[in-house]
Amino acid sequence: MSAVSHHNPLYKIVVTHYLLAGLFFLTLTIMLLFSVGALSGHYFQPKVLALTHTAALGWGTMIIFGALYQLLPVILETELYSLRLSWFSLAFFVPGIILLIYCFWIFDPGLYMQTGSVLVLTGIILFNVNVFFTVKHKKQESIFQEFIITSCLWLTLTALLGTLMVFNFRFSFFQKDHLHFLRLHAHMGIAGWFLMLIVGVSAKLVPMFLVSKYQRKYPLSLSYYFINAALLSFLIDGYFQGIGFMTYFIVLLGAAGVSFYLFYIFRCFKSRIRKEVDLPMMKTLFSFVFLTAGILILPFILYYHLRNDPFTVNMSMLYGILVFMGWISTLVLGQTFKTLPFVVWLKHYGHLTGKVKTPVPAELINSLLLYIQFAAFISFLLAFTVGFILVSSTLKFIGVCSLIITALSYCTQIICLLLHKTKTEDYDHI
Amino acid sequence: MITFDVPSHLSSKRGDFINALKTVIDPELDVNIVDLGLIYRIKLDAAKMCIVLEMTLSSKFCPMGESILSAVKNCMERNFPDFITEVALVWEPEWNYEFISAEGIRALEGY
Repeated sequence: MSAVSHHNPLYKIVVTHYLLAGLFFLTLTIMLLFSVGALSGHYFQPKVLALTHTAALGWGTMIIFGALYQLLPVILETELYSLRLSWFSLAFFVPGIILLIYCFWIFDPGLYMQTGSVLVLTGIILFNVNVFFTVKHKKQESIFQEFIITSCLWLTLTALLGTLMVFNFRFSFFQKDHLHFLRLHAHMGIAGWFLMLIVGVSAKLVPMFLVSKYQRKYPLSLSYYFINAALLSFLIDGYFQGIGFMTYFIVLLGAAGVSFYLFYIFRCFKSRIRKEVDLPMMKTLFSFVFLTAGILILPFILYYHLRNDPFTVNMSMLYGILVFMGWISTLVLGQTFKTLPFVVWLKHYGHLTGKVKTPVPAELINSLLLYIQFAAFISFLLAFTVGFILVSSTLKFIGVCSLIITALSYCTQIICLLLHKTKTEDYDHI
Repeated sequence: MITFDVPSHLSSKRGDFINALKTVIDPELDVNIVDLGLIYRIKLDAAKMCIVLEMTLSSKFCPMGESILSAVKNCMERNFPDFITEVALVWEPEWNYEFISAEGIRALEGY
């Protein structure tokens, strides 16, 4: 026999992360509005660096941190090591991101940018200490744990290399050029942090939400080894040899790893007992289309790169849009309203169940706002991607306006959820 | 399958217990906990006027765990005010999807 906790001490830290992530998302859309033109040029330029770090750190990583504080105990079946450490991590992380983004935007690679990068790195290290000690308390090992721990290691390495790159702007101690390291830094972040983490967490949550019968874990193990092998090979080969024909095989290795994961998700979906798929879950499943599209573009980027064709830059930018705005953002937009309503519901109704009739968590969401957000986001993806391919500023502008509507409806939904008033009904009056 | 440990002269209470427990709904799945197979054993001690429920959760660190447990206690105390209710959380046997009843499956399938 066992007991479970009597309240949710994680409420404040989780909702603070969600709220901040929403604000960074809104900021990102406004920044995008003022830098549509910059996206037509090379990706290594101040505004694009600022946009990328707002999306990767302020939006994606911020919400993942918040969600993990709530979900780690569920996924690993143990308690979070330290709540205080999570607040310390946030205290370093937020000012660090703001400083870093501002310095990228105006491109001031001096003391403020260096301070920002060190603050971000410190916030990430504190987060990882919390995760490692949480995992240490766990008795049984699982593939989900392997994914999470490995992704945290990759995140630290990504941030460490990023910090070194910031200092290299001023002190020039790297033996090779900056773009060379930028590629390694970006892929450590995309494949090492985001992909590994998302695979690990979604592999546990998707079957839970779909009530899936599929229990086999071997596709996940294969996915783990293939993705890591591809990433390590890319880093070693990329550092010593640069991009070459060997890179095709590395991409193939990584694509195979992702395919094993997608196969697992597909089997979970096919064997689900719960037939109805709600909108947040549909968005989650939809996000995998963009992940696949992003991977399919990689061989083309390689092809143009090896021919020294300037079209490589456009393809690389499209790849970035598909990964950050297509895959990660769609996933975050979906999972936010799968997890946050539960956190809010627990606070308002956790102690009232059985005494009075309470709504279910899904009823706390404003459906209209959710549909507006979904429609606006689809409009953004279509208009922006097509505008990018056809080099149409008008379409890109329509896309960015749609993204602003998405962000506004997203933030409004979060604020409405956080301001929710308890509504109950007496059983005798039903 | 629920195991009952109820004195024969109070066996009519079995149906009442089940009906009451069916009002407790899993907030995510929107299916009652009886059809989800979360209730393992119901024991009625007539001398002590006490109902002891042995139940499980779908996951050890289910964020809804405490809420579901308190819902069961509140529901039983509301429906059977003459009895004291004790809810014991057990992890053996470990719950899996095969514990869901045919009615539960139909509800999850949307019928």
